[in-house]
Amino acid sequence: MSSTSGNATTPPAAPSDTMVRSKGKSRTGLYAAVAVIVVIIIVLAAGYAAGWFKTSSTKSSTTSCTSPTPAVLSGAGSTLVAPLMDQWSAVYTASTIGYSAVGSGAGINDITAKTVDFGASDAPLNPAQRAAVPSPGVNTIPESAGAAVPIYNLPGISGHLKFTGQILAAIYLGDITNWNNSALQAVNPGVSLPVASIVVVHRSDGSGTTFVFTSFLSASNSTWKTAYGHSTTINWPVGVGAKGNSGVTETVQSTVDAIGYVDINYALTNGVAFGAVQNPAGNFIVANITNIASAIRDSNVVFPSPTGDWYNVTVENAPGAGDYPMATLTYLFVYTDLGVAYGSSMSQTTAENLVNFLLWIVGSTGQSYAAPLYYVPLSSAAVTYDTTTINSITYNGAAIPTCVPS
Amino acid sequence: MTRGNPFPPRSSRQILRAPKWGDRIFFALTMLGALGLAGIIIAMVVALVHGATPAFDQIPFTSFLFGRIWDPGGCVNGTSTCVYGALPFIAGTLITSTIALLLAIPLSLGAAIFLTQHAPMWMREPVAQVVQLLAAVPSVVYGFWGLIVLVPIMRYDVNPVLAHDLGWTGLFGGPTNIGLTVLTASLVLSIMTVPTITAISRDAMEAVPRSQKEAAISLGATPWEVTRRSVLPYSRSGIVAGIVLGLGRALGETMAVTMTIGNRNAIPLSLLSQGQTIPSLIANDFFEAITPLEIPALMEMALFLLIITLAINLGARLILARLQLGRGAATE
Repeated sequence: MSSTSGNATTPPAAPSDTMVRSKGKSRTGLYAAVAVIVVIIIVLAAGYAAGWFKTSSTKSSTTSCTSPTPAVLSGAGSTLVAPLMDQWSAVYTASTIGYSAVGSGAGINDITAKTVDFGASDAPLNPAQRAAVPSPGVNTIPESAGAAVPIYNLPGISGHLKFTGQILAAIYLGDITNWNNSALQAVNPGVSLPVASIVVVHRSDGSGTTFVFTSFLSASNSTWKTAYGHSTTINWPVGVGAKGNSGVTETVQSTVDAIGYVDINYALTNGVAFGAVQNPAGNFIVANITNIASAIRDSNVVFPSPTGDWYNVTVENAPGAGDYPMATLTYLFVYTDLGVAYGSSMSQTTAENLVNFLLWIVGSTGQSYAAPLYYVPLSSAAVTYDTTTINSITYNGAAIPTCVPS
Repeated sequence: MTRGNPFPPRSSRQILRAPKWGDRIFFALTMLGALGLAGIIIAMVVALVHGATPAFDQIPFTSFLFGRIWDPGGCVNGTSTCVYGALPFIAGTLITSTIALLLAIPLSLGAAIFLTQHAPMWMREPVAQVVQLLAAVPSVVYGFWGLIVLVPIMRYDVNPVLAHDLGWTGLFGGPTNIGLTVLTASLVLSIMTVPTITAISRDAMEAVPRSQKEAAISLGATPWEVTRRSVLPYSRSGIVAGIVLGLGRALGETMAVTMTIGNRNAIPLSLLSQGQTIPSLIANDFFEAITPLEIPALMEMALFLLIITLAINLGARLILARLQLGRGAATE
């Protein structure tokens, strides 16, 4: 800085004297930019070699029908079936499927608002939700199945602890408060249950898992049925709430003497130990894909009409000797007439894409992806029912031609 | 002798050069930004009010405000009517935030005083940076830490002692076999608000001019008296601002609370029972709302929370203003 005396009467020195510029411009910026560009080129080249840019040119083969131009389909809903949906989306190349796992309730809201082509939920539409759906109404299409399993944290106990519906209901009502209760001891002879109070854990958020669990409690215990019923959200009398299957698992696993319930898919995927539940035949069943599938089959459930009330449809307490009693279906919701529902925003092509995709999901190819991901495939009766329902979907009153990829 | 300027400049803007087009654009952009922010807040309030309108229409206000039962599924599963009572969540929010602040304020003020008055010079900056790091930790991480680390400590070490020794106060009743309690959530919240209050209080205290402190020292004050009589009164407004900011964070904290409070939709009768707060309830119930009235009811509760926050903010500013008036020439 040039020196100035107190009362500055001399003008400050000209800028060119005081600001010394470095010799030549700095090249750091240039080098940085070149380096970034080189890195990007290398990454893109590696990606090309790895096949990032190959559009899927493998079209699924179809049998002698002309498949429609591929369209983009959108769905939203259950987080539980999201892994299965993602698998289906990846494998099914005749359309582009975008699925948002925002939760069953949000999925139902979205299909009600007609912002998605199909909604997915772990629980059927309750009467209030069904009344909110605008004309022409939605079809309820079971696309997969699941179950709820009881989990617990008792360090001294090995093997699978046995429960009955009555006992579970009593625990969640707060009637049974200790692990060494006589009813629990009676179904677990030879097991030394600890003298400790039960820490009850339930879901704090709404969930289809809660729906199936409380349906089972309602079927097992009339006090529970009249006081709390079955729903995705319950006004729990006792217990601690945890968010999500992961929250319940985390809470139970870090709290000794705790009991909770999670979905079978979550339990199998994450290796969570769970207990056995007594079925109507009197046997204590440890859930797996096979005995849940047989429960769906043996339940001989009578489906209502696709647009009817599904809230009391149950595949629980199937009569077979080896059936798991706490099973449930998961559902897709699709409008009965796509042209009337969506108007000009759904073209005939998109409608055909949607129907083909739905038929593929419930067909043998789509259902074959369920078991490896620990989802339960549909029974053949359910598949037949679904196929009829999907074939009944119309576009502005006219039947939609189908051409399902194999 | 200089003659007085007949046209004294009224503001610094007037003695700048006439703005060129670049300045005008800059002025317009910054004004857009500032007004836009204010507009966003107004838009949020309007959206909340609009979303909550069905709840205002269909749920009587007193039964909403003082209702103790939250059962939005009752009319769906056929057991009872749908009841929307917000009292448990308002109580839970206020209780957890109050306890969080009660625990956080002494800790943060102590830290700020230590960092500005008593710490050796080499220690001040690093410790301050570490405390500010706490503010950068995401709230989910706090919740996770609370669930994994704090909950077992509370269950096995702290809660039995509290229930046994301090049970006579009536605050620590109930079963102690789980660490997911209102107290645990309040502890996590207090740790989350400490960095906010510490940072702002520290800034306020560092702004105290040396002349103030030196004057006190020259009159024979001990270090504590210097702090109490010179530093704290001078930085009062900054400290209160920091506390209000911390309270805002505590009131709105969602994930950390959901993971540690036990999510029980009832008024907590003891610090060792489970409870629920408004943000945690919204996080739990929003996506799976099963009746058409549930989301409007949640929005009404969110509006409530907003009003409580604004009221506390306003109240703090009013108190500050009265304090400023009282001190008069002490402020510059």
